[in-house]
Amino acid sequence: MIRRRSARGAAAACALALALGLAACGSGSGDGDTTSTTSANVVPELGPDQKVSIVFESYNLAQAGPWTDTFTALIDDFEKTHPNITVTAQKPQTSTLKGYGSAATASLQTQLATGNAPDVAQLTFGDLAYTVDALGARPLDDVVGRDAVQANFAGAHPFAATARTLGDVDGKTYGVPFVFSTPVLYYNADLFRQAGLDPENPPSTWAEFRTAALAIRERTGKDGSYIDCLTKVSGDWCYQALVASNGGSVISEDGTRLTFADAPAVAAVAMAQDLVNSGASPKLSQDQAYPAFARGEIGMIVESSSAQGVFLRGAAGAKPPWTLRAAVMPSFDDRPVVPTNSGAALFLFGQDPAKQRAAWELIEYLTSDAAYTQITSRIGYLPLRTGLLDDPNGLKTWAAENPLVKPNLDQLARLRPWVSFPGKDYVQIRTTMLEAVENVVYNGADPRRTLTEAQEQAAKLLPRS
Amino acid sequence: MTGTFVEVAAVPRPRAVVTARRPPLARRAARALPPYLFLLPAVGCLVVWTYRPLGAALNLSFFSWNLLPTTPKEYVGLANYQRLLDLPDLRNALWLTVAMTGALLLFTVVLPAIVALWTSAIGSRGRAVYSALIFAPVLVPPVAGAALWQWMLDPRSGAVDRVIGHPINWIHEVRPAQIAIVVITGWHLLGFAVLVVAAGLSGIDDEYRNAALLDRASRWQTTRWIVLPLLSPTLVFLGLMTILMSGQLTFPLIDTLTQGGPDSQTTNVYYLLWEYGFQNFDTGFAAAAGLLFFVGFGLVALALIRLSDRLTFHDS
Repeated sequence: MIRRRSARGAAAACALALALGLAACGSGSGDGDTTSTTSANVVPELGPDQKVSIVFESYNLAQAGPWTDTFTALIDDFEKTHPNITVTAQKPQTSTLKGYGSAATASLQTQLATGNAPDVAQLTFGDLAYTVDALGARPLDDVVGRDAVQANFAGAHPFAATARTLGDVDGKTYGVPFVFSTPVLYYNADLFRQAGLDPENPPSTWAEFRTAALAIRERTGKDGSYIDCLTKVSGDWCYQALVASNGGSVISEDGTRLTFADAPAVAAVAMAQDLVNSGASPKLSQDQAYPAFARGEIGMIVESSSAQGVFLRGAAGAKPPWTLRAAVMPSFDDRPVVPTNSGAALFLFGQDPAKQRAAWELIEYLTSDAAYTQITSRIGYLPLRTGLLDDPNGLKTWAAENPLVKPNLDQLARLRPWVSFPGKDYVQIRTTMLEAVENVVYNGADPRRTLTEAQEQAAKLLPRS
Repeated sequence: MTGTFVEVAAVPRPRAVVTARRPPLARRAARALPPYLFLLPAVGCLVVWTYRPLGAALNLSFFSWNLLPTTPKEYVGLANYQRLLDLPDLRNALWLTVAMTGALLLFTVVLPAIVALWTSAIGSRGRAVYSALIFAPVLVPPVAGAALWQWMLDPRSGAVDRVIGHPINWIHEVRPAQIAIVVITGWHLLGFAVLVVAAGLSGIDDEYRNAALLDRASRWQTTRWIVLPLLSPTLVFLGLMTILMSGQLTFPLIDTLTQGGPDSQTTNVYYLLWEYGFQNFDTGFAAAAGLLFFVGFGLVALALIRLSDRLTFHDS
């Protein structure tokens, strides 16, 4: 009897929390304008003695080394400065780590289905539409108010303008952009020298990239190059950059028509296929390629800067050690390079107002000057508060010693958002596209025919409007 | 004294109904109950863990839903099944499952039989060491084993390519990737299968062999005409296990090493199912696929059990 009563009590508490949560988010809905939400609607501040525990899920906790070390340290710092908030930091609940982004979304999906979701989750921009439409991420503009969200983007070192709106849907901020990179061309300066190439002049076009790769292969016996954008596992963020740099896209602006079999995309994939066929790129999977580059066995790699920490450690630990350099992504002849962003934003899923407030404080901390100083210097992600690089108390000394951040930063200024496919079958659309690309590049399938077939298959999965 | 017998109508005598008194229903039930009570825990578990989910899956297969409480369940009738049967991926995956299973039989039936027959001649202490060595891979967790193999199969610095002296990317080329998955699964299973065959061998009465020796049968003749027929139930059991379990056994390897690639050429039906259900959030579709496989494998199992009754030779 006692048990039953307490269960009913819990249900009532849940209903109350739900009602409060709904009230909080229902209030500001429907307005797309920039007028501030009144402070009455937002979740209240925590009391001085109010103890709250929240759960934070991040795929950066799924890989030992610089990722986990940095994030654990950040959470410890947060708990020290916020003694009344306890954070349980967890990695996505999937058995394997293939494709961090989709694993993170699948994990959240499973936990939501059992009614036990984390309060803050780090999900990729490629899952943005699904995160908002299906997973029901709370609009931050309603939970804490648009003013608070914008104030967090400002501060002593404001967010880069191109980064601010990456987590927006229909003019509302759902996710605070957190960690991301642009596609960076990393190269091994020692292999360049051995192959008679000038490390000061990295290739700036794909044609030069191919020539350099072949030279490295011929003169050093090592592999020439690898583009980590062309497989199911790599995800589609930098594949989108590749296509956009050739003047194409993967989906039309209004999101109703797939365009990844149009001429510019086909030409971009054919270029990559030629790299493999000519021997400029080896047939490798992502798991094989980036550790091989870190060991000094590949001359160049187009990769997210999230792997920079791994490369630096590999370069220092290799025998003999080698020097890591970075450049902007090569272009298609004289067309401009259109970089996209990888990475993820922080989304709020908690329903309880106290937890929502605590979660927002965690988001604020994780996107603060102090956090970005750690994240950039220890992992290699972009400091979205770019001013930190000129601040002597921030990353100025680090930036002087680490010119590797420069190309990434240049590309941040002319960023194009990584587009997420619409509808509930978006993962399948993406997988269909990438499997076709992988099949063309690494198995020699015909570019136009394969991509067109894949596009016809995938088009059936677009939401009918 | 004469007289006549007159037929007199028999006096109807009230028949005494002496029926054994049936015990009351409650007591009869109590007496019949124990066997069912003993069965209850097992049946209960089966219902909770197998039949109820099966029913739920059947229900789910008629809907388009991603399991989220916030998303409405949309009734689609047989559309999931229709889509499934139209899918070229499915045919490819089915064919690969059959081919992989066939190749695996080499490691779970043929090789273990050979190894066990050979080692049966070794002395008991040597055999213990031998069995332990062969059994060791079974104890390696599948994902850890996969990670190990990933390093060994690396095209540049991996042990395998150094030994064969030719760089093959075992994970990223179609044929080598298929071979790698089958061989690694076989490596995992070999020890277990050898153990099972050895157990089967030790169950064969030595008198048959001795009798054959007395008749001056050669070692091969004894093996062929006495040991193998008596071993056949064990071998058929191993075959059945392989066919029904190969999908699950290869799954962790496929997921860790190839993710179904290259060009979906290592995607078996289980991996396909998992991709749809848990990566693409298409639970209704995955449920339809799961049910179809359940029925399919059920029929295969039935056929195999029938076959095993006919094929095997029991020592009575």
